[in-house]
Parts: sequence; C-alpha cells; structure tokens
Amino acid sequence: MVKRPRKLISSKQTTKSIKEGEIKRDKDVLSVDLDKNIEHIQALYTNASDVISRSFYIAGKQKAVLFYIDGLVDIQELNDNVLGPLMEEDSFDYSDVKELLEKKITVSGIKEITNISDCVKKISSGNPVILLEGSRSGLVLNHVKFEKRSIEEPAAENVVRGPREGFVEAIGINWTMLRRRIKSPKLKRKEMDIGKYSETEVILAYLEGVADENLIKEAENRLKRIDIDGVLDSGIIEELIEDYPYSPFPQILTTERPDVATSHLLEGRFVILVDGSPFVLIAPVTVYSFLQASEDYYNRFIISTLIRWLRYIFLLISLLLPSIYVAVITFHAEMVPTPLLIGMAASREAIPFPALIEALLMEITFEALREAGLRLPKQVGSAVSIVGALVIGEAAVMAGIVSAPMVIVVALTGIASFTIPRYSGAVAIRMLRFPMILLAGTLGLLGIMLGLITIIIHLATIRSFGVPYLSPMAPLQGSETKDILVRAPWWKLNTRPRLTGKYNKYRQAPGQKPGPKHGGE
Amino acid sequence: MTKGYLHSSRKILLILLTWSSLFVLSGCWDRVEINDLAIVLAVGIDKIEDDQIELTVQLAIPSQMGGGKQQGSGSGGQGNKPTITKKASGTTIAEAASILQQRVPRRIFWGHNEVIVFGKELAGSGIREYVDFFAHHPEPRLRSFIFVSEEKASTVLEVIPNIEQSSSQFARELARFQIGLKVTLKDLLKNISGESRAVALPRLEYEFDNLNEKKGGLNINGTAVFKGDKIEGYLSDKLTRGLLWVRNEVHLATVSFVPENEERYMAFKLLRSNTQLHPEIKDGKWKMTISITTEDDVIENQTNMVLTDPKVVAELEKQLAGEIDERIELTLKKVQTEMQADVLGFAKAFAQKYPDEWDQVKGNWEEKFTEVEIEVTSKAYIRRLGMSTKPQGIPEKELNEE
Repeated sequence: MVKRPRKLISSKQTTKSIKEGEIKRDKDVLSVDLDKNIEHIQALYTNASDVISRSFYIAGKQKAVLFYIDGLVDIQELNDNVLGPLMEEDSFDYSDVKELLEKKITVSGIKEITNISDCVKKISSGNPVILLEGSRSGLVLNHVKFEKRSIEEPAAENVVRGPREGFVEAIGINWTMLRRRIKSPKLKRKEMDIGKYSETEVILAYLEGVADENLIKEAENRLKRIDIDGVLDSGIIEELIEDYPYSPFPQILTTERPDVATSHLLEGRFVILVDGSPFVLIAPVTVYSFLQASEDYYNRFIISTLIRWLRYIFLLISLLLPSIYVAVITFHAEMVPTPLLIGMAASREAIPFPALIEALLMEITFEALREAGLRLPKQVGSAVSIVGALVIGEAAVMAGIVSAPMVIVVALTGIASFTIPRYSGAVAIRMLRFPMILLAGTLGLLGIMLGLITIIIHLATIRSFGVPYLSPMAPLQGSETKDILVRAPWWKLNTRPRLTGKYNKYRQAPGQKPGPKHGGE
Repeated sequence: MTKGYLHSSRKILLILLTWSSLFVLSGCWDRVEINDLAIVLAVGIDKIEDDQIELTVQLAIPSQMGGGKQQGSGSGGQGNKPTITKKASGTTIAEAASILQQRVPRRIFWGHNEVIVFGKELAGSGIREYVDFFAHHPEPRLRSFIFVSEEKASTVLEVIPNIEQSSSQFARELARFQIGLKVTLKDLLKNISGESRAVALPRLEYEFDNLNEKKGGLNINGTAVFKGDKIEGYLSDKLTRGLLWVRNEVHLATVSFVPENEERYMAFKLLRSNTQLHPEIKDGKWKMTISITTEDDVIENQTNMVLTDPKVVAELEKQLAGEIDERIELTLKKVQTEMQADVLGFAKAFAQKYPDEWDQVKGNWEEKFTEVEIEVTSKAYIRRLGMSTKPQGIPEKELNEE
C-alpha cells in the first residue's frame, strides 16, 4: 500500500550516535588479540558501570576475561561451575574453545559466538560472556538470573473453573508455559528483536501444519517492518501491525492466560509474545472472540451456551440501552406502556435538563468514576466507590438533578459492559455508546438505526489478518456457528474454524459422543 | 508524510463533518420531553348544540399518579386527584383540541389515549364525523376502546373511581374482561364502513358513591346498537350475552339454570367456546346456521344431584346446550326483527361465501337481513365437575342417586 521509510529517523543528529554506539561491519569480528576485544567492548560500555569485566587466568596460564552485568547473573553458579573449574585446572592443554567448552565448563547452556555485536547483545541481556586470548570465538553462558514476578492468577481474566496461572513479564517463562501445554515439536517459534534501543525479544509462535504458512509469513513481515526505539508492552506491537488502525474495534486479541493462547494456537492462529509484557497477542480473530471467555470451554456446554447468549444480550444493552431510553422518552412517548410512561414522567417532573443532557451527564460521570477507581491507589478505591454511589445514586436523585430511571439505566449499562470478557472489546462498546446517545437525542430511533447500521457496515468491512471480522456469521458458514450461536459440546467440535484451520481440518476423531454403551463392552 | 496517510485522515475529517451536520440539520424538531406532555388518558365527546361539540379530555397528573414519590413529598397528600378533566367546545374535534391547548401548559399528547366515550346525544345524531379525527391524527391508538355513555360523556370522565387510579383505567379494564362488548377504534372504523353498516358499542354507565367528591364507579351495561352511524336501540345485559355468543367473543360466561326435575339451580362456567357461522343460499332462500361448541365446568350445584354418573352429565350437557340456544334466540329476535341491524357479522359471512349473490342484495341488506332464516345448533361438553362431585350439606341418604 504505502511505502514508508525503513528507518524511523534519518536526520543528521542520529548519524553521530550511530558512530558512537554501533559497531562497523569489518570491525565486528572478534579479534585474536584479547586486549583489543576487551578495549572494544569496554569502549561500548563506557559510563555503564553495571557491566563488569573480570580478567583471570585459566590454569594460571591462559588469559581470559569474563563479562557480565551485576544483578542479572547467578553469581553463585558462575563461581562454582565456571571460574572455579577453570582457574583450578593446572595442566591446561587445549586446542580450541570447543574442547574447553566440552571438557571443563560444567554448565548446560553454553554457546559459541564469533562477533562483537553478538557479544554485546548477550551481555546486555544478562548472559555472562567469556573471551579467551588467542581465540576468535567467545563463550556465552546461560546464567541469567534476575528478579521477576512469580506466576500469579491473571488479574483481568478470572475464571471459576480452569487453569489459574497467567503470563508474567519474563518471556522465557511465558514460552515455557506454552511449551508445557503443547509438547509436540510442531510448536515453532520465530524470534526477533524489536526496538532500536530496547532490543526487546519478540517471539512469534505457531503450530506448524495447522497454521497457514502465508499467514505466518505475513505476520513475520509485519513485525519486521516495525522500526521503533523501544517496545514497552505488547500494546505497542499491536498498534503497529493492525489492519485497520482507525477502527475502534480491536483486531488482535490480547490475553494473559496461557490456556487461551494455546487454544488459539490449536485453531491455527499465531501468538506473539513480547518480553516485558504479560499480555500476548493473538490473531487473526473475529468479533466473537471478544465475547468468549476461556471458561466457556471448561464448563458444561449447556450452561456455556446460555451464558454466551446472556453476553450477547448484555452487549446490546451496554451499547444501546441509554440511547433507546433517550430516544423513547424524547421522541416516541407512545411506545412506552402508559403506567410506565406516567411513572417516568413523574420522576422527570423536576429535572432541569433534557433527557439527552441528563444521559450524557450520567454516563460521563460513570466513566469518570470507573477511570478514577482504576487509577487510584487501592486504599482510596473504596472511598471513591462510596462517594460515587452516594453522590450519584442518592444525592443526585434527591436534589432533582437526575431522574431515578436514568440512574437505573446508567447502572444497568455499567454492569452490562462488564459482562464482555475482553477488556479491549468492552472499551470499544463503551466508547461507541456516546455517539449513539447523541444520535438518539437528535434523531430518535431513526438515529439509533443509523448508528447501528454504520457500526455493522464497519464491522463487516474490517478484517483481521485477512479473516473477515464478522465471520462466520457474515459471510455465513453454517457449520461454523457451532462455536458462536451455541457452544457445541466437545464431542461435536470436530473441525477447526474454517478460515484459520482449514489446512488441518480435523481437530479430533468423530463419533466421540459418550454414553453408557460406549467405551468398554 | 506520504499521500496515503493524508488521504485517510482527510477522509475521516470529511466523515466527521458530515456527521456533525446531521445533528444540526435535523434540529430535533419533534423532540418533546415527557415531562412536557399532557398525557390524555380518555376522551369524551358530547353534542351541545347544532354543530357544536364539547370535547372533554382526562389528563394524567404524573406526580400524583405514582412513581417519583420523592419529588411530590410536600404536596402528595391524600386529597389530590391523579387526573384532571378539561373541556372545550368547537365545531370540530381539532378545533376544540386547539382551544383546549390554550388552557393546558403542556403539549396535549394523544398517544396514550385508551378510551373514547361518545355521549348519548351525539350517538343519536351520528358519530361518523367525529371518528374521523382519531383515524386521521397520527397519535391516537387504533387499539383504544370505544364506549357510548349512558348520559353525557364528560360525566363518565369526571368519575373518580374508588378502585383504579382513573376512570379511563376503570373502563379499559372492564372492556378487557370481555364480559360486555369490547370494541376498539380499529373495529369501529372497520364496521362503520363494512358490509353490514351496523355497529354495536358497549354502553358505559356510572354510579356515584359520593356525588360531591365525584367518587364512584363505572359499569358496562348492555350494548348500544347503531344502524349506520346513528343509534337504533339498546340491548340489555342479558341480550348482550347472546350477542357475544354469536360473535364468538365470549370469554367469561356463567350459565345457571334449573335442571329438569329439580328445584334449585346449577351454575356452569365457560372454559372455552367456539362459534361458527355457516351461511347457505338454497333456492333463493338465505339461511344461516350458527353452530356453537362450548366446554364448561360445573362451579355451583344447589340441587341434590350426584354428578359422578355419566348419564346425569350427558343429560346436563343437553340441557346446557338448550339453555344457550334459548339465550341466543332471544337476542336474535330482538336484533333481527326489532332493530333490523346486522351486528352479528352475517353480512360478512354471506359476502365471503356468496360474493355474486351478495352484490345483488348489497343495496338493501337491511331488508334481506330480516328475512334470513336462522338456525342455532349448540353443543355443550361438561369437562370438569369441580372439587366435589356430590352436593354439600346434604345427608348421604337424601342424595338423588339414580
């Protein structure tokens, strides 16, 4: 589509910094002269006193140097398994680094590298590096150890039934959580570092033979296109690889739950893990993914189906209830049953504002309360909710600023928006509520229809990595609705979703419906 | 900056501008807050002199009627009426309504009008001209109920009922029971221009418990039969029942009679009933067969009959059917020979089955209607005997066990 410059910035300012910070190609290879290498690396790490270089002699003869970052290395291990055996060795006799590596260092994770940029990268990510006098290659030891959050229950995606572990900030741990769930070697990963300064590790995970190869290629290309200074969270990646950046609807699913990520891998989607973020990205997804909770698949299917429909209904309530209320009481008074109309008229008797203003006022206040509750320190949170409930619920009605039915409408809408399991989906609906209220207040039900049609046309237009956002309802694929209109029992979910899983159609063997006569004669 | 980026941002700007003009252009011209509406609950139309009619509307006072109690805490005493009636006169309803609007600070809103009452005098001189307003105006409901007042329509609206909140509610609930006739505006508009050119409307009576405070109640008492759009006569309550049977509109009915060879009454409650009209033209003779199938429960037994015997029940069924026949025939006699107004729906039945013959008599159906031979065949089934099969309070030995 649009050709964009490869580099983020190409002004004069940065050429200088490249000279200082980057290593030129011909100088990149490790030299035989150890002092030269040390000098080189130390020059890169000037004014970075956390990088420590420790010179030592292997068996008292061979000069070597160890680079590591204080606080990112398991010092105990390093002393016991590396420095100890090497320095104590008295009859040192080696031909190349490989032999040393194989014979003397009692560390499992060890790798050979040959150029300085790799050295720097490894040192920066916490791996100790050993360089030797007279050798063109160095050794990278896998002794990274840093303080990290332990695995906890995901805060934003609670379940009653189902796995309780959630992703953490460390990408290595996150990957192991996926690997523990898919032991097949078909689980593949493509690694890349994104961010000019942050050099954040990003992993594109997929299931070979299930996911479309072109899709993986496209995802890889989109990731490679990113040229940014730092990646702090997967949200930044999400915004840079979306199909329709102006849409209010998220086209990439985020989750904190490894079981959700795994289930999407099994349906032929890809997962992007970003170091430093407990949220992984999943694509391609449809609008329905935002209305499905992982628990739907762990609970009994009848219950799950009912709960899904409850969510669909409350999605509509969350989007439309305030606007329908406004439209009906300002334009279509004849639509309300007489006793209800009289009741509503009575409660509006002393209200100074038109219903439209009243609704906007209340909705904005509610959003502000929610935002305040989210940002405030936990200790103050309860104070906010008390003030909110009292001021808005009671006092505003008593003072005749808002009517009681409006409070009910706003409260119900608020609750309804919490029934959407995915936060990013709920936010989109919350935002769209306001234009809908405006439309309802100016054009009545006609305006609501106009707004709804616009939203539906938009939803039908957008795609997530080539998959129509409303599929399988539009375009309709009858058999695919088994996981949309209902949650079919597991023994019926024999095929993968067609658009992402058609390369490996069957998920399981057919005819697994259990019963007293099945299994065992 | 590249071209594509500019393009899409410009597009969005354009869309936003277009949308924002939508808000301004529409101008909310018909926006009315519900607290700025004077909700009409019932309308009464009376003839006062020559061309002049008097329009009476019953308006709801929302703060007195319920909901939002906290606002009216100071004034919400007991003596306050939940509705108010306002009157205005004019040559047309529209004129009267606009005069009325001068005296009401809120916009008169017809969308919740559920009851239309025609005064007795107006009914005598023709209602057609005044029905038109309700068919023309977009707000009134086609489902509002139509009544004819025993006296002036305005008096009915002024009644402050002791059990419902307003007299319109009172009348509406009575009509819904379908003990008397239930006629909506839609039915009226259909019948007044239909084949039969005759209309039956329920007649609304009022009774005051306390004349000063205008407290009292309403009562649907019989039927007013219209020929064309003028009143022809009244059917009593009992005859109205017969009318309901023929029109297949009976829902709640209790039939009590003295069974043969007994001294006291037995009462039956209708479970369901179905009436079918079978028109027939043979050798130029028009005949209508009314076949009625009813299912009933025994609800009261004053006799000393024991109902467990199927033979007794079969006999009762026969007598019950006869009883219903008798009632219907009374009505038929009155309607067909005295009033000569086809409010029974015969015209439609004939027109549907014999369109050609109908075309010939269309002009003088009134005359032809009186000549139609009518046969009533009822069938009754007693389905349930109630909680006790034996009459209560009679010693075992005195029971009449055949």
